[in-house]
This record gives sequence, C-alpha cells and structure tokens, in this order.
Amino acid sequence: MRLQSDRLAAARPYLYLTPTLLVLATFTYLPIARLAEMSLHAPGTGASLGPWIGLSAYQKLFSNPLFWRILGQTFAYVFASVPIAMALGLGLALLLDQPLRGLGLLRALYYAPVVMPTVAVAALALWMFNPNGGLVDYLLHLVGIAPIPWLVDTTWALPTLIVIAVWKNVGYYMVIYLAGLQALPQAVLDAARLDGARPLVRFFTITLPLLRPTTFFIGVVALIGSFQVFDFVNLMTQGGPSNATNVLVYFAYQNGFAYMQLGLAAALSLVMFALVLAILGLVAWTFNR
Amino acid sequence: MMRRFATYAVLVAGLFPLLLPFYWMAVTSLKAKRDVFTATPQWLPLHPAWDNYPLAWSAEPFGRFFFNSIVVTTLIVASQLVLASLAAFALARFEFRGRRAIFWLVVAALIVPVQITFVANFMTLARFGLLNSYLALVAPYAASAFGTFLLRQAFAAVPRQLEDAARLDGCSGLAFLWHVLLPLSRPTLIAFALVAVVAHWNDYFWPLIVTNNNAVRTLPIGLGMFVGQEVTTDWNLLMAASIFVSAPMLLLFFLMQRYFVRARLHTGIRG
Repeated sequence: MRLQSDRLAAARPYLYLTPTLLVLATFTYLPIARLAEMSLHAPGTGASLGPWIGLSAYQKLFSNPLFWRILGQTFAYVFASVPIAMALGLGLALLLDQPLRGLGLLRALYYAPVVMPTVAVAALALWMFNPNGGLVDYLLHLVGIAPIPWLVDTTWALPTLIVIAVWKNVGYYMVIYLAGLQALPQAVLDAARLDGARPLVRFFTITLPLLRPTTFFIGVVALIGSFQVFDFVNLMTQGGPSNATNVLVYFAYQNGFAYMQLGLAAALSLVMFALVLAILGLVAWTFNR
Repeated sequence: MMRRFATYAVLVAGLFPLLLPFYWMAVTSLKAKRDVFTATPQWLPLHPAWDNYPLAWSAEPFGRFFFNSIVVTTLIVASQLVLASLAAFALARFEFRGRRAIFWLVVAALIVPVQITFVANFMTLARFGLLNSYLALVAPYAASAFGTFLLRQAFAAVPRQLEDAARLDGCSGLAFLWHVLLPLSRPTLIAFALVAVVAHWNDYFWPLIVTNNNAVRTLPIGLGMFVGQEVTTDWNLLMAASIFVSAPMLLLFFLMQRYFVRARLHTGIRG
C-alpha cells in the first residue's frame, strides 16, 4: 500500500506535465518532422504523401529567382521595421520615464495600437493610404507634396507596410523599455548626473549599455515576430504589386493553399525555421560577446 | 521648466500620427456615403450616420462571428490557464528526473510559431476531418509554452516554508496549488489571461488556415472578408465594422491597463 502511494507521488509531476507536453508535441514539435517528411515527398491525394522525391523541392525552391527576391524582401522588412520601432520605442520610453503628470494616460494611448486586431489596422491603413481620397495624401498635399502611390507602386508598397508595422508595434517596445529603465540602478544615474555628464553622453555611456538585456530581449521577440509577417500582406497587398511585398510566410501560404504545392510550402517553412534559428543564434552571440 | 515643456511638446506631437488614424476611423464610420469622398476632408461628422453601425453589422453574419470569437477565445484561454497551471506546478515545486530537459523543451516551443508549422498542422487536422471546427481553432493553442514559463516563475517565487506550513495543515498537492499558489500568483494569472485573450481574439492567421465556413469563422476573418469586398467603396461601413471588432479589446485594455503593463514588464508576448 505504502509503496503504491510512493509510486503515485513520484508519477505526479509527469502527470501534471502530460497535457501540456502532448499539445506541444502534436502541434509544435512533431509538425517539424512532418514538414521534413512532406518536403521530401511528392504531393499525394488528400492527406497522404506521394512518392519520395529527395531534395528536389529544395532544388526547385533555391533555383527560383522569386524565392531569393522574397527572401531579400523579408529581410528588408524585418531589418527596417525592427530597428526603427525599437529606436522610437526607446525614445518614447525615455520621455515617459519622468515624474510628470498625465504620463500614465500618454503611455496607455501609445500602447493602444498594440491591442488592435491586425485586420482592423489593415482596414484603417487601406483607407488612410488610399489613392482615392486617402487622408495621408491630403495631408501631404497641404504641405505641397504630390500624392504618393503608397500600396500600388512596387517601390513604395513595402516601405508603406513597414510604416504601418512600426505604428502598430512601437507601443509594445516602449512598454518593455520603460520596464527596463525603471529597473536601472538609480544611484549610478544620479552619480553621473552629479559628475556633470551631459544628458546625451549619459545616455550613450550609461543608460544604453545598462539597457542591454532589455534590448536583447526586445530584439529577439521582435525578430521572431516580424519574420512571421503575414496579416498585413494578405489583407492589404496580396504580395503585390508584382510580388513587391511578398514575404516568406505569404509565399509558403500561396504555395500550399493557392498552388497546391504542399511539398514546396513545407520546404519553405523549414527554410524559414532554419533562418529564425540562425538569426537568433547570431543575435545571442553578438550580445554575449 | 523649459525641459518639462519640451517633453510634453514632443510627446503630444508624437500623439498626432498615433491618434489621427483612430480619429479618422471614428469620423469616417459616422459619415453618410456621400460625405466619405470629398475634395476637402470633412473633419467632423456634421450629420452623424449612426445607421452605419447596424448596416455594417448585417453586411456579414457578424453576430455569428462574434459568438464564434467568444467561444474560441474562452476555450483557448481557459484551457491554457488550466494546463499551464498544472505544468508550471510540476516544474516549479517538484524534484524529478528530466525536469531541466522538460523545462527547456517547453521554452524552446516559444521559437516555433504557428506560421512555421501551419502546413503540417493543416494536413494533420485535414486527415482527421477536423477542419472547420471549434476543435481545429482551439487545439493547437490548448497549451501555452509562454503561460507555462510565466507561471513557473511565479510559483517558484513562493517560499518553501509556506509549502511546509501548508502541508502541516493538510494542504498538499493540488490543494496547495489551488489554495496557495494560484491565489498568490493572481496578478501574473490575470496578466497572462489578458494577453492571451487579446492575442486569440485578434488572431487572423490560424483561423484563416482552418476555416472556410461562416458557421465557425471568427471576427477577424469576417472583417477580413469585408475588407476584401468593400475596398474602394463603403469605407464608412468598413470603418464601423473595424470599430466594433476592435472595441472589446480596446475597452478591456483601458479598464485593465495596469495588468497589461505588468504582463509586459515580466515577459512580453505580443497581443
């Protein structure tokens, strides 16, 4: 009897972990293996796999110039939107990290876009940047700038999506930076102030280095998040005009669901996963050096 | 004095690009169709067309989508809270073989978003004939690596002595989780629940993959369909629909602000 209850006690933590591990295994870990399997077989009928085709899906992918273009565009999107939004978020956090009245309300307002559904933001942005009656062009007209073909021009479309993403995310980075700032050792900052260090010098020699862990954290979250950009593309441009805003997830989605090339879509997903891992590794390495 | 003034000036100037879109969304949603496209934009809805809201509401089966969103979000968040509490309890308060490995296994799941696994998950659900069901919308999110991690940190912070004292009072195992750990971790629980509600209420990607039937479509999908149809025409209705789709989350955020900020302080997933 005693032995049995001991065994039960020992099994307990595993029991508590089982549901979570089952879900994660089914929908997060096994799918990676499943993707690999799918990418090595021809598409079958229904849910079954066709014959083994080796690496030809990858060959097809890597020999497609469109893939490389889309890869480049995804990188452009990530490495433009992330630093811009992070810098703005840090700037706002510095301004808001002061004992001034009314800042609580301002913080909340800056954060509001973060809780908006991407679909509503996309609808609003389509209207604001609309070539026919859009408010942005009107405001530019007031200061003497000719209308810009925001989302319909191959040069402008991607930068427009970047602007929208920055608008949506900046409040999120601001809040985390604020938390980072409030956790800084006040004594160090005060000492520098007493020594007469100028604000800009103080910022670059003390505040910014002390914020390194926060910057690292935001960088990781932001990189993973923006690599997955899909919603704005699907809702606002469908990857166009002529693929100028096509990105990796959208390309995988097109291959899988529009062109019925599931093997290719699976290969693309794995390439994406490898890229995310590589970039995270790189970021971790630069920050830990 | 000058510095304070300058700070306010910059912050308020920054509010212009931030708030103008919200304002424009609200104003447009109240305009009659003929007032939407005017040579000079009308900054005030002089003749507010309140009809736009019921009109937009009935343009798609938004009532059904609303219901679906509530069901799906509730199921996901409830399931995540239960499973994450149990898993976090094991990871934080038990010594057992493989604990470290399992902890890292859970954390590693954070870097595998659904945007990478969707092709495989779609195939799995299709094979079992589960597409277009609440189950398909909920199952992949039934557990949360993030929630597990977050609660583990909160549970681990509860001192050992408290556990010993509770055991003397006959409160151990799940009773300890329920009567001591969870109440003590209330702020973390609420913060996590709020972040999860926002994330899944707003989720567009996964429902798009697994639904093509109005019976199970959620609000973001409904609004997305509306975007597809209404572009270049009824901006007033589209803005009205965008407002009633976003309103619950904006409201929740303004009411529960301090908890949201807390969630970000301790963690930071996006909502």
